[in-house]
Amino acid sequence: MNWTWFHKLGSPKWFYQWASNWGGRCVYLGLMLLVIGIVWGLAFAPADYQQGNSFRIIYIHVPVAVLAQSCYLGMGIAGFVALVWQMKLAPVFIKSVAPVGAVMAFIALVSGAIWGKPTWGTWWVWDARLTSVLVLFLLYMGVIAIQNALDDQVFADKAVAVVSLVGVINLPIIKYSVEWWNTLHQPATFKLTEKPSMPMEMWLPLLFSALGLYLFAAGLAMWRMQSEVLKRERKANWVKKEVMSHGV
Amino acid sequence: MNYRSYFKAEWMSLLRRKQDTLNALLFFVMVITLFPLGVDPSADFLAPAAGGIIWCATALSVLMAVEGMYKEDYNDGSLEQWLTSGLSVTFLVFLKVLAQWLMVVLPLLLVLPLLAQMLFLPMSVLSVVMLSILLGTPALFFIGSIGAALTVSLRRGAVLMLLLILPLYIPVIIFATGAVRAAQMEMVYSGQLAILAAISLVALTLSPVMAAISIRASVN
Repeated sequence: MNWTWFHKLGSPKWFYQWASNWGGRCVYLGLMLLVIGIVWGLAFAPADYQQGNSFRIIYIHVPVAVLAQSCYLGMGIAGFVALVWQMKLAPVFIKSVAPVGAVMAFIALVSGAIWGKPTWGTWWVWDARLTSVLVLFLLYMGVIAIQNALDDQVFADKAVAVVSLVGVINLPIIKYSVEWWNTLHQPATFKLTEKPSMPMEMWLPLLFSALGLYLFAAGLAMWRMQSEVLKRERKANWVKKEVMSHGV
Repeated sequence: MNYRSYFKAEWMSLLRRKQDTLNALLFFVMVITLFPLGVDPSADFLAPAAGGIIWCATALSVLMAVEGMYKEDYNDGSLEQWLTSGLSVTFLVFLKVLAQWLMVVLPLLLVLPLLAQMLFLPMSVLSVVMLSILLGTPALFFIGSIGAALTVSLRRGAVLMLLLILPLYIPVIIFATGAVRAAQMEMVYSGQLAILAAISLVALTLSPVMAAISIRASVN
C-alpha cells in the first residue's frame, strides 16, 4: 500500500495549498447537491403511506444525524493519530471539526423533536437514539470546552486528542447501553451495505442530500483548518509569502 | 521510590486525610436525602427508585472524590517526581486510583445498608446493589482519573471535568440500575453485572494509559 498521502499530511504547507484547491470546490458542489436533494425530497418525492408528508423532514434529519456521528469518529481517529504519530494537522482537524459536529448534533436533536411531535405525539421521548445523540452533543461540548479552557497550545492539543479518543472508545458502549435500555425509534433508514428498504424515488434524494452535506462539511472543515494552520504557522516563511502574495 | 513504597505512602497520606473521605460520604448522604425531600417521601416511590437514586449519588460523589486527586501532587511537585522516578507513570496512576477506590468505596459500602433502609429498599435487593457498586465503581474511578489528570493545572477545573466525564458514566449507571431493577423483579441479573465488570476491566486497562499521557502533558 502506498502511504505517501499520509506522509504528505505531515506538512501543514502542503495541506494548506491542497485545501485551497479543494475546499471551495467541496463547499459549492456540496451545497448544490444538498439543495437538489432537499428540493427534490421536499417537493417531488412521493408522500409516505403511513406518515404522510411529515416524513419529509428525513431529508434533513438523517444526513445531519449521520454526519454528527461521522464527525466524532473522525475526531477520534485524529486523536489517535495525534497521540501516536504526533502529526501537527491532527489537532487542527479536531479543533476545526468539533464545532461543525456539535452543530450537526444539535440540528439532529431539533429536527428529531420536530419529527417526533406528529409521529409520536411528543417533542421528546427518552428513547435510545435520541438519548445517545444528546450524549454525543454533550461530548462535543466537552471537547470544545476543554479546548477553550487550556491556554497552552501544546497541552490543549494533547488534552483534546485524549478526550476525543476516549469519547470514541466509549461511544459504541454508550450507544448499545442506551439501546438496550430503551428503544422506540424506527431502525436506521440509511445503510449503504444493504438494499434500501424505501422506494428509489424516496431514497435517491436522501442519498443526494447526505452526500451533499458530507461534501459541504468537508469543505467547511478544510476552510476552518486552513485558517487555523495560518494562525499556528504564522512564523513560517511560506505563510509570510502566502499572505504577501494576496497583497496585504 | 518503588511501586510498593509508593502505594504505602499514598495509602498513609489518604488515611491521614480522613476528612476527604468523610466529605465524599457526607456528599453521598446529602444527595440521597434530596430525593425524598424533593420528589416524594413515600415508600411507593422510593422503593422502586432506590437503586437509581443510590447510583446517581454514587456517581456524583465518586466524581467529587476523584476531581482533586492529583491537585496536591501537582502543586507540591510530586507529579514531576513521577516523571523523573523512572517508574511507569501508567502503573503509578493505577496504584493511586486503587488506593482512592479502597478509601472511598469501602466506607460507602458500610453506610449503604443504613441508607437502603431509609429508601425502603428490600433487603433481598441490597446485596445486588452492593455487588453492582463493587463491580461498577472501578470504572467510575478510572475514567474519572483521566478527567482529573486533564484538568489538574486549571484553577477551576471541577465543572469542566464534570462536563467531560459524566457522559462517560452513563453506561455504568444504566447497567447497574438495570441489574438492581432485574433483581427487584426477581429476574436474572448476572448478565448486567457481568457487563459492569467488563466495563470496569476495560476502563482499568485503558484509562491509566490515557491519564499518564495527560499527566505528562500537564506537567510540562
